Amino acid sequence: MSTSDQLTAARGTGPTPAGPAVAGTTSNGAPGGVIHDIGYQRYTGARLGRRHVVGALYAHSLRTAFGLGRSAKAKIFPWFIVGVVVAAAAGLVAVRAQIGQVLLSYAQFADTMSWLVIFFVAVVAPELVSRDLGSGVLPLYFSRPLRLVDYPLAKFAALATAVFMLLGAPQLVMFLGGAFTTDAGWSGVWDEVTDLAPGLAYAVLWAGVFSAIGLAVASVTGKRAFAAGGIVAVFLMTTPIGGVLSVLPSVTANQLAGLVAPSSLVQGTGIWLFRDALITEAGTGLDTGGFGPLYGLVTVVLIAGCIAALIARYRKAARR
Amino acid sequence: MNSTVMWITARGLFGRRRFLLLLPLPVLVIALAVLCRWLGVAPGNWAQPVLIALGLAVVLPVVALIVGTGVLGSEIDDGTIVHVLSKPLPRWQIVLPKLVVAFGVTTLTVAVPLYVAGVLAESVRLGLALAAASAAGALAYSALFVALSLVTRRPVLLGLVYVLIWEGLLGNIVSGTQVLSVQQYVVTFADRMAATTLFDGQVSVTVSVIMTAVIAVLFTLLAIDRLRSFSVAGETS
Amino acid sequence: MTTSTSTPSSTPAAAAPVTSAAGTGTAGTAGRPAAIELAGVSRWYGNVVAVNDVSMALNAGVTGLLGPNGAGKTTLLHMMAGFLPPSRGAVTVDGEPTWRNPGVYRKLGLVSEREAVHGFLTAYEFVLASARLHGLPDPAAAARRAIELVEMTPAQDRRIGTYSKGMRQRTRVAAALVHDPTVLLLDEPFNGMDPRQRMHMMTLLHSLGDAGRTILFSSHILEEVEQVSGTVQVMVAGRLAASGDFRSIRRLMTNRPHVFAVQSSDDRALAVALLRHDSVTGVDLPKGGGITVRAGDYGSFTRALPRIALTEGIRVHRLLPSDESLESVFSYLVEA
Repeated sequence: MSTSDQLTAARGTGPTPAGPAVAGTTSNGAPGGVIHDIGYQRYTGARLGRRHVVGALYAHSLRTAFGLGRSAKAKIFPWFIVGVVVAAAAGLVAVRAQIGQVLLSYAQFADTMSWLVIFFVAVVAPELVSRDLGSGVLPLYFSRPLRLVDYPLAKFAALATAVFMLLGAPQLVMFLGGAFTTDAGWSGVWDEVTDLAPGLAYAVLWAGVFSAIGLAVASVTGKRAFAAGGIVAVFLMTTPIGGVLSVLPSVTANQLAGLVAPSSLVQGTGIWLFRDALITEAGTGLDTGGFGPLYGLVTVVLIAGCIAALIARYRKAARR
Repeated sequence: MNSTVMWITARGLFGRRRFLLLLPLPVLVIALAVLCRWLGVAPGNWAQPVLIALGLAVVLPVVALIVGTGVLGSEIDDGTIVHVLSKPLPRWQIVLPKLVVAFGVTTLTVAVPLYVAGVLAESVRLGLALAAASAAGALAYSALFVALSLVTRRPVLLGLVYVLIWEGLLGNIVSGTQVLSVQQYVVTFADRMAATTLFDGQVSVTVSVIMTAVIAVLFTLLAIDRLRSFSVAGETS
Repeated sequence: MTTSTSTPSSTPAAAAPVTSAAGTGTAGTAGRPAAIELAGVSRWYGNVVAVNDVSMALNAGVTGLLGPNGAGKTTLLHMMAGFLPPSRGAVTVDGEPTWRNPGVYRKLGLVSEREAVHGFLTAYEFVLASARLHGLPDPAAAARRAIELVEMTPAQDRRIGTYSKGMRQRTRVAAALVHDPTVLLLDEPFNGMDPRQRMHMMTLLHSLGDAGRTILFSSHILEEVEQVSGTVQVMVAGRLAASGDFRSIRRLMTNRPHVFAVQSSDDRALAVALLRHDSVTGVDLPKGGGITVRAGDYGSFTRALPRIALTEGIRVHRLLPSDESLESVFSYLVEA
């Protein structure tokens, strides 16, 4: 009786109420077992390559940065900051429409929002990096066709893009406001574009430096709270050091003081690259003396160093 | 005051790596003060950035945050709070010892370097004033951050929002918020006690005293009440 | 005096209400409150009902709280331990409510599921701290006694962070026992224990139960509950589906067929003869001999089989109920 054999032997895979439940008690002592065909197949189609894997990781990280695809609580902090910067930009547009004067140039806007950028990085970088480290899912990532360097680089690209969008969106708002309220027609619009371009490039600089530092610090720990605190602490500690150096009696020390803190480092580099975009009034702004190129060099070295540290960290973490 | 709770809390604090985060900040304050004094910078120039901007505005709240969320928050996070809660202890006998530890550790970590920096800046009087003011600030901050650990699951983040955005950003821009900022009370205390020209308090002394006391008491009571109704979620998620 | 437990009235399976059999159902003797009593307790989170109208009264002895993951066992235990307020109903230990009542911990000991212990303390320090927090008159002696009870004395001066999972578990049990509680709650205590440790823990729990304490432990692994106690409270999807001795529960579910494995001198003839009887619903002849009988009514089948065998002149060599294990009880309840 083959049917009853199968019934007796198979441990009910479906909800069959009747029938002996325990295979081991068949009186002949032979353990039975049947594999049922439920249509399971291995995937034999085309598989996308490394580029797509990295692209998917990048897109997913970018969405995580703004809390898209996650619960409402994850959206609060990032969108609150976005709201603040866009509101500030809108305010500037309104003021400019009223009194016709430019309060803050595009590049200076980025400087003013420095604390918000720090806060944004302190909230988002742990979400991107510490969560994966702390929950032990790195082996899942690295068992895919993803090279070791792809992961930190994709995360860095995503965070830098997010910060750029954070700074670029309000700049765009200011541009639109300026372009639509200009009196000089197309040449006025063109002036706005030439002002916007260095502003955007400056935002790229901000994005690069702050993302690199934020990710490097966040990758140290798997707990998001510590990572956030650590990032904030790094920025908070370096600013007063710079402040102290800028009041020392030596002029060289004053001019080099900006190198110590990330925000003044970026400012110094910006002044070297786009002087007019940043310094609208004579005598204001950071005094970098002739050390502009040094600021630029240190910026590049800092970004490269942080990314190298990030990669080294993942080399160590992935080995475990 | 339950000494066993204090002992477990203290050992828990010092046994974790996060405690090491506390050390660079006070060391930095002393190092900068020594550097400025040695290079002969006028105190009027470096007192504001080192004593106020770094010392009272950064080191004090950050240390209080790390310690205050550590005494209770870390136990809630890893679940060891259950061991203390499943004892026939009235809840205030659990909150108060932890607060005392938080207050003590914060004050010690902050007051000592500020005293040294104050002495280097001006006089012993300034040093003592800074130390006393930071003790008062530590009391208010500790109560605030311990209560925060019980109210929310991400106390460090919310504490950072308070310190960075409310006290830091808004406090500098919108003068109205200074009345509700512990940092301002601390600066006022220091200014009043030291009668120094190096910095000025923005809020009146009466308001500072009252608000510091109110914050310390109010948040302690909040913490005790929250601990009484502390509930653990059902299945492990 | 037996208490009837709530019926899962909407499920089609158990038509007859299940009444508790063995003594755990007594709601207190002569006016004394039960050691643990739940009266119409429900707990919900928004739209999700975690515990649905559960009533039970537990007294001295070991009781197993059984149910699949997500059945609400941990929620129920947390409510008994005073870490969760019931949305409705009352949870009392020895007559006192457990929520917002730290005094109840004098009589209550809890070993939670989460493995959280202060890793930097040694076992002795941990249990000693527990004794001190209870305000015991001689904490050091009580700590030593408790550690000896769980057989952790040789390792007591090493840091807990260096222990194996089973040792950590035993340390927590010691800390929960240090104040000699009358009620002990354990949430999945055998998780991750090897068989030798499990046996030791079972023996310990039994000895504590025999000494008059009320022990309640939860599990979703049937083998554990089978071996520790025959008294179970079964929770399915937030409801109390059955209480009492699991074998009796099984028998009460009359509309589920009982399955027997029979070996005899003439299988086919016996099969034909059995099929004539009312209580038999099906017979199988598996490869290798013997027959498997499905009977609806346990009582009448067991009385009929010897009579039939005698009439037919067949010798029965072996009769085994093949699904009396908790597993099949469970799966029937779960599928209901």
